[in-house]
Amino acid sequence: MISTVNDAKVLSLANVGLYYSRRQGFLKRSQFWALQDVSFDLFAGETLGVIGKNGVGKSTLLRILAGIITPNTGKMVIHRPGFRISLISLGAGFVPFLNGRENVILSGMMLGATKKEILSKMDAIISFSELDGFFEQPVNTYSTGMRARLGFSVAYHLDPDVILLDEVLGVGDEAFKIKSTAAMKEKIRSEKTVVLVSHNVPLIREICDRLVWIENGKTQAQGDVKEVLDAYLNSVPLGAK
Amino acid sequence: MQYKNTYSSRQVKWLNFSELVIQKAMAGLKAEASRGYLGVLWWVIEPLMYMCIFYVVFAHLFRRGDENFILFLLTGLIPWKWFHATVATGASSLMANFGLMNQVYLPKMIFPLTNIAINTFKFLIILTVLIVLLQFTSVKVTWVWVFLPILVLTQLFLITGVTSLLAAIMPFFPDLRVILDNVLMMFLFLSGIFFDITKMPESVQQYLWLNPMATLIVMYRRLLLEGLTPDWLHVFGVFVFSALLLSLSIWLFRRFDRIYPKIIF
Repeated sequence: MISTVNDAKVLSLANVGLYYSRRQGFLKRSQFWALQDVSFDLFAGETLGVIGKNGVGKSTLLRILAGIITPNTGKMVIHRPGFRISLISLGAGFVPFLNGRENVILSGMMLGATKKEILSKMDAIISFSELDGFFEQPVNTYSTGMRARLGFSVAYHLDPDVILLDEVLGVGDEAFKIKSTAAMKEKIRSEKTVVLVSHNVPLIREICDRLVWIENGKTQAQGDVKEVLDAYLNSVPLGAK
Repeated sequence: MQYKNTYSSRQVKWLNFSELVIQKAMAGLKAEASRGYLGVLWWVIEPLMYMCIFYVVFAHLFRRGDENFILFLLTGLIPWKWFHATVATGASSLMANFGLMNQVYLPKMIFPLTNIAINTFKFLIILTVLIVLLQFTSVKVTWVWVFLPILVLTQLFLITGVTSLLAAIMPFFPDLRVILDNVLMMFLFLSGIFFDITKMPESVQQYLWLNPMATLIVMYRRLLLEGLTPDWLHVFGVFVFSALLLSLSIWLFRRFDRIYPKIIF
């Protein structure tokens, strides 16, 4: 596939480790290391895949990239300070009693847009979400699929410079899956930098430029999609998934 | 870890910040207003119920109250309720928003501030009701009432300082929540709402004045009921105390802003 990778790095992680602090019995806290030693680079315009056994490491990684939490060890350098790096989550902070319109404004503002920006994109957001009349209804009357569509629509239209996807394409009904996959692929083919966490091997093969394999909190391999996939798949015992 | 040029310019900037607090506060108020059948009416009925209960208990059960006592009580309860409601909910605002703070980066101070904005709005409604009510009593409106906004602002400053500080500390010591409930109850009784602290023996009085809410309530009563100018020295004392708490909480929020989501309780 044609990659539009230019050599400018967006960010680099070097030996990054992070722990969560958990209560452990009486008066004690324990450290739970979700990531121990992760290193990779992210280049502008590329689609980087992240693969690895189920665990909290990958979501943690996305949160670090989104600026939600900071690593405890290692170094993270952001080479493009002005870049908006957004985690595509489906309905962050939706207030149940408010309607779709008000939640879009709230959600958009939390993702870093000004009120004016969101209002100017409101029509596009509404039509993409295909909610029609439901838009003026409280979101607690929505199905999970509808909430997903709306949340996705907001995040998508705010056009972040780096898009972080946590297997979001697998959520929702068939129609939404097709639509969001198509929309994301379009973004991917454009200049957008995308980090995609997924278990979907065919999808990774199809849209990723490079791949990082993270397991047990450490980078096991990074680089060419085929090579890393081979290494990853060889490590999975036969018959297990 | 230093992230100077990385996260600082990203996402929510200062103008966005205040816009966002206001937006979230309005969202919270609208959500409350659309609940139940009475919606907005509850913003008036609930405080009235609260005050009725105290009136019945203290005026009729504990002592023969006169018309003056009810005004005495109300001018203490209304500021107190604002303080209590905000501190009690605002202190755990970070825990309440744990899910949200893990999905998108937000300066964590937004959470107590939103809470403060919502409760302040509700306070202003009931304060207006009180002022209107006072017109029907023997209380005279004097030019001194011009100073009322200053008292309100000082209390706002106090509430912001206390709530923010507690909100910043609470994620590290969730047990504080239980302690807080009881401490607030203690202060309810020590803030001179049900009795006049100026009539207490000198030895006790000096300690009572240390309580900023007690100080403010005395000032509110002097202004609204007696038409006296507030004692600026005391007001300034409350202001300084609040400024200290607020500075400390701002420092804490800055330091732990991206650490709070890593604390699992």
